[in-house]
Amino acid sequence: MLVQLERMELVSRKIFRGRMKGERRSQRKGQSVEFADFRSYVAGDDLRFIDWNLYARLDKLFLKLFLEEEDLHFHALIDASTSMDFGDPTKLHYAKQLAASLGFVGLCRADRVKIESLGSSGQHLGPILRGRHSMWRMLEYLENIEPGDNTPLVDGIKDFCLRNSGKGIFVLLTDLMDKSGYEAALRLLMAQHMDVYVIHLISPEEVNPDIKGDLQLVDCEDDDIAEVTVSRPLLDRYKQTLATFIDGARDFCNRRGMVYLLANTETPVEELVSKYLRQRGLVR
Amino acid sequence: MNPVNFFLSGTWLNAVGWIALLTVPPMVVMLYFLKLKRQPLAVPSTYLWSRTVEDLHVNTIWQKLRKSLLLFLQLLLLALAIFACLRPGWQASRLTGDRFVFMIDNSASMSAVDILPSRLVHAKQKVIDYINEMRSGDVAMLISFSDRPDVLQPFTYNRHALREKVKRIRPTNQTSDLEGALRAAAGLAATGRSSNPEDSGDVQVAEAKPATLYIFTDGGLPEVTNFSPRNLNPIYVMIGQAEADNVSIATFTTSQHPEKDNETQAFARFEYHNTDSEAPPISLEAELFLDDNPDPIDYAPRIEVPVDGIAGVQFELRDLKTGILKLDIKRSDNLAIDNIAYAAVNLPRRSKVLLVTPNNEPLTFALNTQEVREIADISLQTPNILASKEHLAQAANATYDLIIYDQCAPTTMPNSNTLFIGRVPPTSQWSAGQAMTGPSIIDVDRLHPLTQLMDLGNVLIAEATEVKGPPGALDLISANAGTLFAVAPREGFEDAVLGMEIFASDETGETSINTDWPRRRSFPVFVMNVVKYLGGSRGVLATPSIKPGATMVIHTDGLTDEIRVENPQGTTTKLQRDSRNAFIYHTTETLGVYQVREGKSDDVTQRFAVNLFDSRESNIAVDAQIEIADEPIEGQAILIPARRELWKWILTIGLGVLLLEWYVYNRRVYL
Repeated sequence: MLVQLERMELVSRKIFRGRMKGERRSQRKGQSVEFADFRSYVAGDDLRFIDWNLYARLDKLFLKLFLEEEDLHFHALIDASTSMDFGDPTKLHYAKQLAASLGFVGLCRADRVKIESLGSSGQHLGPILRGRHSMWRMLEYLENIEPGDNTPLVDGIKDFCLRNSGKGIFVLLTDLMDKSGYEAALRLLMAQHMDVYVIHLISPEEVNPDIKGDLQLVDCEDDDIAEVTVSRPLLDRYKQTLATFIDGARDFCNRRGMVYLLANTETPVEELVSKYLRQRGLVR
Repeated sequence: MNPVNFFLSGTWLNAVGWIALLTVPPMVVMLYFLKLKRQPLAVPSTYLWSRTVEDLHVNTIWQKLRKSLLLFLQLLLLALAIFACLRPGWQASRLTGDRFVFMIDNSASMSAVDILPSRLVHAKQKVIDYINEMRSGDVAMLISFSDRPDVLQPFTYNRHALREKVKRIRPTNQTSDLEGALRAAAGLAATGRSSNPEDSGDVQVAEAKPATLYIFTDGGLPEVTNFSPRNLNPIYVMIGQAEADNVSIATFTTSQHPEKDNETQAFARFEYHNTDSEAPPISLEAELFLDDNPDPIDYAPRIEVPVDGIAGVQFELRDLKTGILKLDIKRSDNLAIDNIAYAAVNLPRRSKVLLVTPNNEPLTFALNTQEVREIADISLQTPNILASKEHLAQAANATYDLIIYDQCAPTTMPNSNTLFIGRVPPTSQWSAGQAMTGPSIIDVDRLHPLTQLMDLGNVLIAEATEVKGPPGALDLISANAGTLFAVAPREGFEDAVLGMEIFASDETGETSINTDWPRRRSFPVFVMNVVKYLGGSRGVLATPSIKPGATMVIHTDGLTDEIRVENPQGTTTKLQRDSRNAFIYHTTETLGVYQVREGKSDDVTQRFAVNLFDSRESNIAVDAQIEIADEPIEGQAILIPARRELWKWILTIGLGVLLLEWYVYNRRVYL
């Protein structure tokens, strides 16, 4: 899998600005050895980039433009709420695997990789990683992420946005099960001008609940109780509600230029990365 | 429905029971507020589940009640159960007993339309209603009756079969005879017949037990005297309205004109039946039609008929010798079939008479008159012929309508009517009594056709012998020492025996006069009566008319062995000659004129008419009571009162509510 990931690279659909010179050509013009274009000189331009040979021939001032080589900022935000600790494998575990895979792709391409769990500002922040050698640090950090941090989605993303103002790729790994709603949280990301990917994790048990009888369903996050008497019509209605919820989330993301991907934890991570994320244009 | 009796008092529920019953609904409501013990199960989030079941989430009691369809259904179910316990019902009626005989009158008067569509249809519907009232295990028998009974269905449990048989009852034009039907019912009810006698594997279902006999009729029945209902309990169910208004043709005949020999005339008599004795006389119009001619040949305007009275009218037919006459009174009343009458004018038929006598001049002379010759062919033979094979064959083959044995007797009786003069028939039933010398005649039956119009007071007789006939013999002439002349039936024929000789011859062959009767006016009248009555002659224009359903005996002139009878509807029946030298025709249910054709000939040789002519049937007033064995039975239109209860239906509705509740329980997510 690592070999497969090494051949990939993260793709941003937006013009980004790295903080350091990187391995990738940016769509921005900048300083590098690779010529890109000419443009007329305007006052204030750096005199160092004037093409004096052209001035000699044409008696006009032209500026030589070079392609900028920049690094890419990759942010992955993992929802580590209790609800993510559900399923086999748990959704959190799956999210960690996914984040590690994408992070490894970024590290291989000398991108700036930052993986955090939601609402981790109060605890240890995620390290900023660069270069393949940082892979072990990344994995160590992921290893230490524990479920139980039930920060509301909107608070966690707000905190993240305040701390990370740059551009780049932002991947949110969550189950969107927030009773206050995911809409406000995702709207915050829009303001960042980032390339946002919302990966909606869902376990098979949530798609087809294997329950029956008169049950008192206890919410593992807030101990909220829902009393149900399971019947075929009720299950049908639940599935209908789930489908509506998923459609709503997808629609919300699509309308706002975000990429939504529903990831069932049954799907192997490598298949998700190599197939679905490639289709969505996150990697190539 | 009587609201006072709607709920049955004194049921099994006492006060404690009621209290227990009435506490159930509040308990059900209370149970609804109790929490169901549910198994806790941790889920990642109740977010989606809450949205799924949020319709079921209730906060307040009233919201709970408002939304709880199940509770309402359960309360409704309980209410129905309590309602059923109250045993609501109403006053209705039911049949008494468990064995019934339904007897339906389908005689002519039941075709009356005073209750639409007709009395018979009404009676049939009533019988079906009664059959529907039968409970499981009840058995019933069905009989329809007019002048004869028809057992349509012996005792059976099968209500469907009974209903089907009732539907098959058709109206008839016949008269009513309750006695025959009662005998049939009593016979079948007493012998414990099986439900289906044609099925050998069928077990007996009806024992000889008492049965309730329902007679559906409008009355107008002849008295039933010689019958004891025994184990039948008769109930008379009146069919029809008490008020009646009907005009009928009571008689319609044709005869020769008394003054003009070659002319014919027709008589009709009308009756007017009305229960309102104060009603004014009715004015009728009558039209007379001949054959199929649509235009009447005669018309009688303004015939005044008083209430419960009669009126007659006479039509002159001039030289009409043959044809079918139809008389129609232009009136639409409740009974239509007696508003039309038919009469047939027949071709004259001559009877064949054989006189066997050694020598009887006065008798031979009396048979040679023109009047006799017009209606009969007379053959004359001496007693020597009696032993001849030819004569024996003729006697056995019924060649003659009448054989007169004067001073002689055959060895076996012939197949024809006979008159014995001075001898008795060679059968053990007839015998000669004591000899009478100079008897004087003291009584003559002037009503009998043989002795009508005869005055024998001036007749002198020298010697005579008393005549003793078989049981059923009619004494027509009685002398002071015994019967002188009698007539008795014999296997379809009639034998008349005169106990004196008219013209006697002694052993030496000397003849002497035994009586001066031949010199009296009554003698040729007697001879004419004999030829007319025993000869079977219908005269020149006699028109036989019989009642519907009666048997018609047809005599023919020729020696044909087969005749064809065409009924008014055009159906032809072939008949074979029977042992009485006659053809017997039974199917005379249809009113109208029947035509007879002999052999292969297409010519109509004779006709006879079938008419109702029955005052009892035409008087369609419903009798308030009928009499069976001198015991009056009051008519009743209702059954005995009984209580009909609803609880079974209420519980059925409850079952439906229960099913609905089950459905709602399973589908409540959507409700």
